[in-house]
Amino acid sequence: MADTMRKNLASNLVLIVAGMFLFFPLYAAAEFSLRNGADKTHGFAAYRWIFEQSGFAENIGITFRVTLLAVALNLLILVPTVTWLHLSGQRYKRIVEILTILPLIIPVVALATGAQIAMPEFMQNSVYELSFFYVVVAMPYTYRALDVGLSAHPLATLTNAARSLGASWLKTFTTVVAPTIRPSILAALFLMVALSLGEFTLAQLLHWSTFPVWVTNVSQQNIVGATALAIGSLFFAWILLFSFTFIGKKNSTIVMEEG
Amino acid sequence: MMSQDSLVVKGLSRQFGTVHALKEFDINIPKGELVALLGPSGCGKTTALRIIAGLEKSDAGSVILNGKVITSDAAHKRNMGMVFQAYSLFPHLNVADNVSFGLKMRKVSKENQKKRVDAILELVGLNSHHKRFAHQLSGGQQQRVALARALVTEPEVLLLDEPLSALDAQVRTNLREEIRRLQLSLGTTTLFVTHDQEEAMTISDRVGVMNSGSLEQIDTPDVLYNNPATNFVASFVGVMNKISSQLSDGYIEVFGKRLKATKGEKSAGQVYALIRPEAINVKTNASNPNAKVLTRSFLGASSNIVCQLADGTIVQSLMTSAGSGELHPGSSVELEVSISEVLITHD
Repeated sequence: MADTMRKNLASNLVLIVAGMFLFFPLYAAAEFSLRNGADKTHGFAAYRWIFEQSGFAENIGITFRVTLLAVALNLLILVPTVTWLHLSGQRYKRIVEILTILPLIIPVVALATGAQIAMPEFMQNSVYELSFFYVVVAMPYTYRALDVGLSAHPLATLTNAARSLGASWLKTFTTVVAPTIRPSILAALFLMVALSLGEFTLAQLLHWSTFPVWVTNVSQQNIVGATALAIGSLFFAWILLFSFTFIGKKNSTIVMEEG
Repeated sequence: MMSQDSLVVKGLSRQFGTVHALKEFDINIPKGELVALLGPSGCGKTTALRIIAGLEKSDAGSVILNGKVITSDAAHKRNMGMVFQAYSLFPHLNVADNVSFGLKMRKVSKENQKKRVDAILELVGLNSHHKRFAHQLSGGQQQRVALARALVTEPEVLLLDEPLSALDAQVRTNLREEIRRLQLSLGTTTLFVTHDQEEAMTISDRVGVMNSGSLEQIDTPDVLYNNPATNFVASFVGVMNKISSQLSDGYIEVFGKRLKATKGEKSAGQVYALIRPEAINVKTNASNPNAKVLTRSFLGASSNIVCQLADGTIVQSLMTSAGSGELHPGSSVELEVSISEVLITHD
């Protein structure tokens, strides 16, 4: 009894300390962003200021569209590829694993200048080239998220079963493989969104104006406004990730209830 | 009159690298028959099954289903049901949805689906488990659902790939009887791959024994046991004693009795006689003992006596428990054979 109580106390203490470590800077930033100039009153002036800056809506729009394309590309390219690697491309798995690590090793600067030259011109002239770069940069994480999900199930047996029951390859993929690894697909999507929404270096290097680039430029002028932006972005990201988790959980909740 | 063959396989061959997994494999299965493919692991039985299912390609040969050549048809276009060794229920679907999967693919109407799913789940004894998911079922239940899922589409052939191997002994015995009962009542032509000879012998109409990619013999369990065509079949099916002796003029002497060599090579010299345990008698009050008892295992009505000959050869005897009560480890005994013809082998 005493042992478990001591253990509980210790883990609670860790939780409290860690919580404080995370919460205080956030609280301080939030408090600071709500100040009205030098006087002691609080308000949303700094937040209003954000919306008054030119390019706010436009840049958010760009980042959204780039993110959307990146997510679509990521799922379209990666999910079938990783599935294939698990089913019949086992011998290429090693090579692909190494390839997916490369974005972590190659500096983003090299990727930005080197890879851009390799792109056709119409793509070099479009902000959506960023989506392609983001898919590559996110690959070390998204590949692994999918890989883990696929490894957790006897995929070969499941696809064999589906095929023997009359499902074509496409049907097998959409009705068996994808729903089975749904949590991993969501995790990969999650990582892709998080990366696309916050990516700064590549966009800046390639002279594209995206939301993170715009934030950096705008925040040079107003320190309280910059803090408000940081807090605002953070809450926005939280809400977004929260809603994804909700979508992801929906199915498994039903599973629990019906069981 | 010959009944019509439902599944005909001709000259199937398959090579993986330098390994011939399957060599000129032929098999004919009449409608409604249950045939088991029995063999050690790596003998090609699963490869044969997977090629028939369309999940694996063959290098040569053809698969004919009810008179239609389907060798190059995709797996999902062959009307076959399959149950796998590994648990294969779709984890995101409940039992009812798993079972109706094949019906959905065949665009069967919703109410018809429900009717057929209810009926088949009733048949496999899981009529109250519609809403369960795979992780809420025992291994045996999962395989029952897999069986229901494979049968609900009324396949022309049912393929079973060691469906009982992952289960406990008790469940395995029950489920194999149930598979046979279902197969007989539905009249489904079935090919059953297993490495467990008891499994194969107990539920099959015919058993095909495979060895290194070829079918050695296919016949009823009785014929396989009593009249094995090759030495491999003789030693693989059931327990077989190998007793060294001299062959001359087609006769061989075992424990002082002259036996006629029936099959195998007839050239004179050093050979082995292949004798079943039940053809060997252990006499207790022996005038000239030729063996020592090592162990006696009581099996109920019968007992298994393991003896050792003077030259070290281990010999098993199966006799009634009543007649073997006073046999104890270490006692000297006299072995006798109760047959007059014997199968021989040179190695």
